[in-house]
Amino acid sequence: MTATPHAATPSALPPVETPESQEDMRLLVAGQWQLMWWRFRKHKVAMVATAVSLLIYFVAVFAEFLAPLPRDHYAADYTFAPPQRIKLILEDEFGNREFHPHVLGYTVEIEAVALRRVFKPDPEQVIELGFFVDGLEEYRVLGIFPSRKHLFGPKDPTQPFYLFGADKLGQDLYSRLIFGTRISMTIGLVGVALSLIFGILLGGVSGLFGGTVDNIIQRTIEFFRAVPSIPLWMGLSAALPEDWDAIKRYFAITVILSILGWTGLARVVRGRFLSLREEDFVMSARLDGVAELGIILRYMLPSFLSHIIASVTLSIPGMILAETSLSFLGLGLRPPVVSWGVLLKDAQRVQVLATAPWLLIAAVPVIVSVLALNYVGDGLRDAADPYSR
Amino acid sequence: MSNSNHNAGADILLDIRGLKTYFHLDEGTVRAVDGVDFTVPRGTTIGIVGESGCGKSVTAFSILQLVEKPGRIEEGSIVLNTGGQNRVDIAALDHDSEELRQIRGKDIGMIFQEPMTSLSMMYTVGFQMTEAIRLHMDVEKDEARDRAIEMLQAVGIPRPEQRFDAYPFELSGGMRQRVMIAMALSCDPMLLIADEPTTALDVTTQAQILELMQQLQEEFGMAIMLITHDLGVVAEMCSEVVVMYLGEVVEQADVDTIFHNPQHPYTQALLESIPRLGHSHEGRLNPILGSVPDPYHRPSGCPFHPRCTQIITGRCETVHPEISRLDPRHTVRCLLHEDPHG
Amino acid sequence: MADTATPSAPAAGKEPLLRVEDLRKYFPIRQGFFGRSVTQVRAVDGVTFDVFPGETMAVVGESGCGKTTAGRCLVRAFEPTGGSILYRNRDGDEVALDTLDNKSLKPVRRELRMIFQDPFSSLNPRMTVMDIIGDPLRVHSIASGSELEDRVADMLLRVGLRPEYMRRYPHAFSGGQRQRIGIAKALILSPQLVVADEAVSALDVSVQAQILNLLQDLQAEFDLTYVFIAHDLSVVEYIANRVSVMYVGKMVETAATDELYHNPKHPYTEALLSAVPRPDPRERSQRIVLEGDVPDPAHPPSGCYFHPRCRYAQDMCATETPELRPIGEGHEVACHLAEDLDLRGITDLVPRD
Repeated sequence: MTATPHAATPSALPPVETPESQEDMRLLVAGQWQLMWWRFRKHKVAMVATAVSLLIYFVAVFAEFLAPLPRDHYAADYTFAPPQRIKLILEDEFGNREFHPHVLGYTVEIEAVALRRVFKPDPEQVIELGFFVDGLEEYRVLGIFPSRKHLFGPKDPTQPFYLFGADKLGQDLYSRLIFGTRISMTIGLVGVALSLIFGILLGGVSGLFGGTVDNIIQRTIEFFRAVPSIPLWMGLSAALPEDWDAIKRYFAITVILSILGWTGLARVVRGRFLSLREEDFVMSARLDGVAELGIILRYMLPSFLSHIIASVTLSIPGMILAETSLSFLGLGLRPPVVSWGVLLKDAQRVQVLATAPWLLIAAVPVIVSVLALNYVGDGLRDAADPYSR
Repeated sequence: MSNSNHNAGADILLDIRGLKTYFHLDEGTVRAVDGVDFTVPRGTTIGIVGESGCGKSVTAFSILQLVEKPGRIEEGSIVLNTGGQNRVDIAALDHDSEELRQIRGKDIGMIFQEPMTSLSMMYTVGFQMTEAIRLHMDVEKDEARDRAIEMLQAVGIPRPEQRFDAYPFELSGGMRQRVMIAMALSCDPMLLIADEPTTALDVTTQAQILELMQQLQEEFGMAIMLITHDLGVVAEMCSEVVVMYLGEVVEQADVDTIFHNPQHPYTQALLESIPRLGHSHEGRLNPILGSVPDPYHRPSGCPFHPRCTQIITGRCETVHPEISRLDPRHTVRCLLHEDPHG
Repeated sequence: MADTATPSAPAAGKEPLLRVEDLRKYFPIRQGFFGRSVTQVRAVDGVTFDVFPGETMAVVGESGCGKTTAGRCLVRAFEPTGGSILYRNRDGDEVALDTLDNKSLKPVRRELRMIFQDPFSSLNPRMTVMDIIGDPLRVHSIASGSELEDRVADMLLRVGLRPEYMRRYPHAFSGGQRQRIGIAKALILSPQLVVADEAVSALDVSVQAQILNLLQDLQAEFDLTYVFIAHDLSVVEYIANRVSVMYVGKMVETAATDELYHNPKHPYTEALLSAVPRPDPRERSQRIVLEGDVPDPAHPPSGCYFHPRCRYAQDMCATETPELRPIGEGHEVACHLAEDLDLRGITDLVPRD
């Protein structure tokens, strides 16, 4: 090529290789996150799953607005009332059909033999539904703005509206599922955040310092992984004082969940540090005189941050499932806290299920959210290393 | 190249015509092998040289139909003449067929740059060799064992009876390469395809392996197709040379012509760019301009024109040169040597 | 070497820039539950050589001979186990590189730089070319902001890349271009000594020559001294003034390039030279094919490490370890029989016209 001494003039150099398309030009100057996003975008399932996940978190944030009824509203008259069907067309006495969303109220009969209350839809009792209706109580959007509006619900808030049926206290399952989203989806986040901190810290220490520290941490991880998780959780949550309130308990449970969660992450982080330490570009930075902290923060962390994000996303579903199982077993959250696990606990007894099979519907959001987050994590993992080609 | 059976047909072991192997990727189609013709005469060593991305390895993989998705042989024929009138077009065989399996390993053996491509860590050398032998030859276990030990001996492995029970990870790089050669030759193939067989080895080990390959060729009489980027290895080993650039054969001739009377500007430039032992006083190296273009942005016209110093401005950028035959054994794909008769 | 700017032999009277004496680097092999150290690999086991200002000193050998480890000890990427490395800095003071702590090492790191083998793994894929090349300037607080940008642009030009490429990421470049970026990064601090570890061996044949020429041009332009670590003897002959040959952690022969290639004194050097394939069918050489493999540095043979493969070996070779000793003008060899052997150099191996 060129470069005879002092030939440092642009004219002596090969022409700038300008790619034919704008697209290619962007690729040349694209950074890590940009490349990652372009790759993630190609993963159709992951994109759909991302939309679903975002929707679920949207529900968690705006639960008060989306749920027709307040969280703890109950009505003893409607114990185990079955789901109502939304009808869109209302026919008046003259046979005129008109668009008028409504549900039908209930008539209650006591069954003679079983002495069971049986709910039947009552065609006489039309409960009109509407969008942006006023609710029973005032709440605060995001904890700040007071409002009475609900996305939809009965125009008269005192009338019964049970889209997914009622539980044994006559509480609206639909509203409670929406409120449960908040706890179930965030307990995963808090748990993951905690295990992320433990994992990066301990894994980083282990990988960076090596030697005895590494040995101790690795053996500890092995110990934790050898303990069966459900019995360990059971033991720990059984040890929680009975008189703790819901909030305290909630945090205690997240800590318990993350106690096992960090080990996997710590191993990943340690492995990454160990292999990165040997990378030429890290050695090159060291030879440049970059200080150790700078090497960790500017050279090592960025090169596996994307992987961490992917594995964190993949571990949220595990946390959601763990909360659900613990609460289902009665060891996790307890009423009055509302979570999907707590709601499912009602469906534990066969007798109850025979009367109110709709209680099982609480399993649906668990399945949907776990699947969605898994797909998002898969997509992120595939896109995480844009340089592997 | 139509009616060019210049080498009396019987001597030709393998005849490749118009071979095209493309890779269909998200980013576009990579024409890894784009119309390659050459022949491998029986019992000789033919060298395929070129830089990374020239398609030399894909050509070799195509011959055994080992190209994996998203790659695909698009066109062309690969006719193997196993003797007499016995001709098979490998490109036309189903990639799962029994016939193809018989050709792989029996008629054509292959060795790779990385021996672990064809050796498994999980089984002993002996087990893998006897399996391969019994797959292709109708022999009993004991006979296969004897044959395997005989082959290990032939490739210069000391104490072959003991090495027979060794696992590949217990052997050094050079020894693994020998085992792989022993395995490739155990069914007495007519053609041995060697894909960069010595690139991962040190010079002294490379010398051992090259020596071994020459000696085995004398003994077994197979043809060798040697794929390499190392012009030194080609000069030492081959009698004929095929020079490839970006999926095309740019020049083909006997080894002396390639090294002493090259006609394609790429071949000439390549030879001028390498440092030679004992010639370093002859001044600066003469590098080729630029670098091999990336496969998604193949230059128009002659693919070498952006790096060519003898470019005919106005023609090379647009006209894709045809193959011209300079003499019966020497072909070149360059507008400088355009066949006046079309 | 045609150009006379650099001496072909250690210039008389010149003080060496780098003096390496009995350099050793052992790696422990750890085993068991708590990783106890059971034995050690003597990757570098007594390496001695000098490097004179302005020259290119090559260290050659096969994989596992310890040349890369030795190179990394020189730039203190590894802590040497023993021996001394004396470096004469810009102010003319001799500093003991092997004992400096990290803080006093920092100013030396400006003068002592390294070029890596693999142009793909040696550049941080997450940084732009400007950050990659400019980082050393920032770390040593030499330049920042637009001054840094100007210096990077200037350096890019000097290595044959356009300054317009500054905002691009490494993935936008070919192997040869990346190696130019690596060279720019090494030279941005205006070093005295550059250790190039297999700087061209990962490149395509046609690109190798570009980089070799570039390295030579830059040497003349910036008055650089190179320690060139390589396995390719043709490349070494082209670029080096003096050559040291290593075998299993030890230096077996050192001499001026011409002397070593034409008049080798160690049987291993002879075999190595004969094994290089010549790119000319009319020079098909008489290869000396060595028996067996390079020994495992964890369990080297007794006496001279080369004796099990040496065709001239005698009884004493199996028992006594030969020391590196002078045998002629600037020629050192570690072989008991050096005086008695008539070994073949590159010209004897082939008929030359």
